[in-house]
Amino acid sequence: MGKILILAAYVVYASFWARFFTHFLVWLRAAHRRDRGGAAFSRASGQVCVLTAADVFLFARVLDVNPALWVGEWSFHASFLLVLLRHLRYFLTPIPAWVWWMQVPGLIAGYILPVSLLYILFVRLLTKQEKFTSPMNLFLLGLVLAISSIGVLMYTLFKPDLIDVKLFMVGILSGAPTPAPESLLFLLHFSLVLVLVPFLPTHIITSPLVMIEARKREQGLHLVMHEK
Amino acid sequence: MKNKRSYTEELSARQILELDACTQCGECLKHCPVQDVTGNPSVSPPEKIRMFREFIRSTDGLKATLFGPGEADRKRLEDFTKALYECTTCGACGQNCPVGIFSQRLWPVLRKEMVKRGLGPLGVQAQMPGAILRSGNPYDKPASERYKPWLPENVRIAERADIAYYAGCTGAYEAQPMVRGDVLVLNAIGEPFTMLPPDEEVCCGFPLFITGQHDMLKDLVARLVNGYAARDVKTLVCSCPCCVNIMARDWPAFYGKELPFKIRHITQYVSDAIKRGKLRVNKELRESVIYHDPCYLSRGVGVIEEPRAVLRSIPGVKLLEFEHHGLNSRCCGSGGAARKVYHENAIAMGRLTIDEAVAKKADRLVLSCPACYAKVNEAMQGYKNQIRITDIMELVSGLITEQEKT
Repeated sequence: MGKILILAAYVVYASFWARFFTHFLVWLRAAHRRDRGGAAFSRASGQVCVLTAADVFLFARVLDVNPALWVGEWSFHASFLLVLLRHLRYFLTPIPAWVWWMQVPGLIAGYILPVSLLYILFVRLLTKQEKFTSPMNLFLLGLVLAISSIGVLMYTLFKPDLIDVKLFMVGILSGAPTPAPESLLFLLHFSLVLVLVPFLPTHIITSPLVMIEARKREQGLHLVMHEK
Repeated sequence: MKNKRSYTEELSARQILELDACTQCGECLKHCPVQDVTGNPSVSPPEKIRMFREFIRSTDGLKATLFGPGEADRKRLEDFTKALYECTTCGACGQNCPVGIFSQRLWPVLRKEMVKRGLGPLGVQAQMPGAILRSGNPYDKPASERYKPWLPENVRIAERADIAYYAGCTGAYEAQPMVRGDVLVLNAIGEPFTMLPPDEEVCCGFPLFITGQHDMLKDLVARLVNGYAARDVKTLVCSCPCCVNIMARDWPAFYGKELPFKIRHITQYVSDAIKRGKLRVNKELRESVIYHDPCYLSRGVGVIEEPRAVLRSIPGVKLLEFEHHGLNSRCCGSGGAARKVYHENAIAMGRLTIDEAVAKKADRLVLSCPACYAKVNEAMQGYKNQIRITDIMELVSGLITEQEKT
């Protein structure tokens, strides 16, 4: 089982970068193609930068269109990030001080994460105003919910041997794998993460760039038909 | 034979990022007028983006990069094309997109890609290039009839002037009270204005642009721009939001350089004339009027305040607003050339506009787009709810004294 997981981890890691590289090639090939009808787009002014920062870090656009969903989406993304940062202690040796600082916020976020996912699922599936739910999004939400719930279980009830976990993770990263920990929950947790990685949505990378363009466009709209 | 052309060739760098940035959240569906009348998520923005990503993967994905481009399923391509052309391109989805995708631009570009692949346009849309080539307009009506039925004889048209008026094909052939109102108000303002002869005032290119048929655009634009430049025009005034949109946003690109004149919507020109004291609306109108923002005027080029300023200048008028107005206006169903193929959708959307205007107890529904004017009037035929529909300049021209009109 451990050997299969180690092999799977390398395959997933390689496919993640291959996928990223293919996307990057598509972006690169189009890099010279400018927008038509974009003459009035303004430059990224201070106001545009502030608004974009609010879009990226506070999900201001989601708040504008769906405040109920915003609560869940922001909590989910923020807690997901904190949990990821907390997990860095399993990958880094020596562990930097800032990763230690992330342990308590990351722990709290670990509890918020599954709750926020349940809330999003509730809003998406059980409230009448939602007209569309993407099957892929549902799959991803379910997957992250399972991963995070197992994480909580491992922290509270069924603790794996953390030294084994760290040796296993560092072993994979350094190309000298060690046997997988014996905890069944850990093996499940790790396996589900391997399932998640190939499906990670690309909007994580591209949406901030689109958001800044959108703010520039909005700021420049008035200039299309009006004097400066 | 395999079509190895990449699906990304027509897309700008920003648009490729936009396709990747769609989170499939579905917020846009709540604002989509086509969804309001069809309730069919398979023609929704996130579904179109998801399908197009699939097509991109077939020519540019990992497998395609390693082993050569594949072929997307023909049936899926056809379904996608239908969904793409059923859209009114109103841009409400993009306006409410949590990521900020500029959908009013994205859909026409995807349509162009489908045209290149021989899948678009649909139905009568395919006849437009031929009609424009023959008669200068997508309705294939004779150029000799372009002005004659509605241009009052007493309106003075200068040979050359700083101001030019472009009537547009839909106004000239399908919404004549509107263009008649335009020239009456321009005449009342008293500043000389010129027009191209009827056989020279050809299509602005918007119907071709929006259906993805770009081959003739460069020639059409050059013909019009040179025509106005030869008349020493400094400001080109037009009342059709679609014409205004392509003129302001795309004509410079097709012309190859900056235009030698500026583009103004008629409500901009008229509200400015009212401010300068060049025009006064003397007659009172004791009515509640509701103004519908055309998508390509509000979201398209940001002309929102000027039509309201014109309406507020009318003594006695009470101005009402739709629940969705300004940048969030809801399409009346006539946009994106979809009305030519999906007629029933357009009628149903037009009726939703009528329903809301009636529910708000408006005496009159005021429009400022010839396509809206023609389609909403059509939607009202035989419908339970009735309301008086008037174009904004048709209304103003009826409220200025005869002396000012002549």
